[in-house]
Amino acid sequence: MKRTLRYGDYLRAVGAGRRELSYNAILPTLHRDAQGRPLPPPTPSPIRLHPDEVAALLRPYVSVRFMDQVKAVVPLGLYLALFQVLILRQLVADSWLISAGLFAVIVGLMFFMEGLKLGLMPFGEVIGHSLPRKSPLPLVLFITLLLGIGVTFAEPAIGALQAAGQNVSPERAPYLWVLLNQWSGALVLVIGASVGLAAVLGTLRFLYGWSLKPLIYAALVPVIGLTLYGAGDPELAKVLGLAWDAGAVTTGPVTVPLVLALGIGIAAAAGRGDSGLSGFGIVTLASLFPIIGVLLLTFYVAGTVRPAEVLAAATAAAAMPAEALAWYERSPGVEIVLGLRAILPLVIFLFLILKLVLKEPLPRPREMWLGIGLTVLGMCLFNLGLTYGLSMLGGGAGALVPAAFMQVPGAAGSPLYVYAVGLTLALVFAWVLGFGATIAEPALNALGVTAEQLTNGFFKKRTLILAVSVGVACGIALGLTKLIFDLPLAWLVVPPYLLAAALTAVSSEEFVNVAWDSAGVTTGPITVPLVLAMGLGFGNATQAVEGFGILCLASIGPIISVLLTGLWAGMRAKLQERAARHAQPIHHEQEIQTQV
Amino acid sequence: MNDNKITYLIDVAMITCIVSAGRGDTVIKAAQAIGATGALVYHARGIGPRERLGLLGIAIEAEKDVVNVLVASDYQDAVFEAIYRASELNVPGAGMAYITPIERLATYIPREILERVSGQEDTP
Repeated sequence: MKRTLRYGDYLRAVGAGRRELSYNAILPTLHRDAQGRPLPPPTPSPIRLHPDEVAALLRPYVSVRFMDQVKAVVPLGLYLALFQVLILRQLVADSWLISAGLFAVIVGLMFFMEGLKLGLMPFGEVIGHSLPRKSPLPLVLFITLLLGIGVTFAEPAIGALQAAGQNVSPERAPYLWVLLNQWSGALVLVIGASVGLAAVLGTLRFLYGWSLKPLIYAALVPVIGLTLYGAGDPELAKVLGLAWDAGAVTTGPVTVPLVLALGIGIAAAAGRGDSGLSGFGIVTLASLFPIIGVLLLTFYVAGTVRPAEVLAAATAAAAMPAEALAWYERSPGVEIVLGLRAILPLVIFLFLILKLVLKEPLPRPREMWLGIGLTVLGMCLFNLGLTYGLSMLGGGAGALVPAAFMQVPGAAGSPLYVYAVGLTLALVFAWVLGFGATIAEPALNALGVTAEQLTNGFFKKRTLILAVSVGVACGIALGLTKLIFDLPLAWLVVPPYLLAAALTAVSSEEFVNVAWDSAGVTTGPITVPLVLAMGLGFGNATQAVEGFGILCLASIGPIISVLLTGLWAGMRAKLQERAARHAQPIHHEQEIQTQV
Repeated sequence: MNDNKITYLIDVAMITCIVSAGRGDTVIKAAQAIGATGALVYHARGIGPRERLGLLGIAIEAEKDVVNVLVASDYQDAVFEAIYRASELNVPGAGMAYITPIERLATYIPREILERVSGQEDTP
């Protein structure tokens, strides 16, 4: 008698490697009332976890976000450090402090981005969704304007701009010193108001479906006019770099999503949903308007303050010993205060709008407050890391790179190379830095996807990312050239912008939108402080008056490169079409011949 | 989990309810009120009666919400009835619901729950 037994049944019988548990055993029994109807069980208690289970739950969540920031920061830091050690043969000063600072930047950005996603973004979406439905248009636009100011204060890179002011010498660039020190509050306010104005115009554009081209021309006229006027005065010319860089700084990780959420919400409420192009344009205007704002503020300051007064104030400030500062004006206290000052006004403003204007409750209050807490914590950590990590690293590298081709005190054996070789090395260094920093920028990836959708896959994502990265790289290399030879900035920015305007005139609307917005996405929270610090360090080492101006050249670079790529792609498509049309009759003739 | 044996949950049933798009939330609320722990919603496009009803087919939305609820077998009738009432399946064109027996289910079971029911486990 042969008995067969399926192996699977045998395994199931012996219960190899598994236990079974009835789901019914876990849940409370379902009771029924006298009529046999089921009674709802008591509401289940929240799930309680042991500490090790909590750790297991949080580990993947944290590690993904941590690695995102590591990927953005570490390669750049390593590149800078290796360049210093291998090419310049200089040790990195305070390497432990800088490593700790970079770690703080990574952790801070991680908290900041996550907090943004949990706390501030839902706020913006709720307001953008329901404000236009409940309030008249003028009030909505006024709130948009205020929001522009609020988000500018919360932008992490703005802190880097203010921190850069400590390295400017009051004797050589008095107005620049005043703007970055005594007037720094007014400076940020003016930048914010410009961003707000840009947001208002951008929103109106969504509403009425205006083309972006005339808006660009209209913004470029005062920008270039004021720049040329400023370039005529040797004292004012030193502020041009700051003004142009301000435009590049504003379009960061806080401004873009929040303002866009509001703008798109308004457009949706008006019944103009996604035309594909909505969402573009605000970033462009927000990077042009601050230039006008800062230049106007400069002319006002120049009209009221004399250089002699500036010098007196500067010497008074320098004479004050460092010990006299209160705890909240010294590092590390000042960074924490700055972090709070950046985020809290924006949160309070959004909260008041929600409560007073919309009279709505928060959608998920506990999650959002946690998010806002994370944002503040991240901002404070990021500021600390900025002071001790990114700024020091960038400044150190910037101060040492000139040693490749000129005498730099503090760098032994400089110049290290023959002038031409060293100069080439420095420019290649800048080019690679710009390329590497841009290609890792997460916002660019998103823009690439959008561009591909807008052009029906005709403009590939990789093409756009490459075009923008090359543009930024060339811009940064050009910026270094400006610092080395102390070229006047006006002559470096006006012709490219005129060229960009000319290219805009002959390009299609989609490309214009993508190209001008690509300038805004390239200047993220890591690139800005690093490049600013590098420029200032470089400027100090080469005895340039100021180290600003690199960022704005890094913004104009991608505009031109993307527009050119778009034109080239369009031409190629036309040529292919023509070739196809030519090819068809030939095919016909051949077919006829073969048949005969 | 001190050893690497998988703990399977048995006596589980899946209730699937198909309703017109946007009405999935009422189904989930009804299921949760009677003791279901969670739900999964898909957006789908339904084909069938809409095409066979002639012009009357316009009254049936093609866009559907498909709600999957996993419940213990003791609960399945109660939850099914609650879902049926909430989504008014007795009205023509409202949708449908069905129960699928689930042979075994495995997921992470918090240790607290395992400790609570450890006496009822049938370990061989």
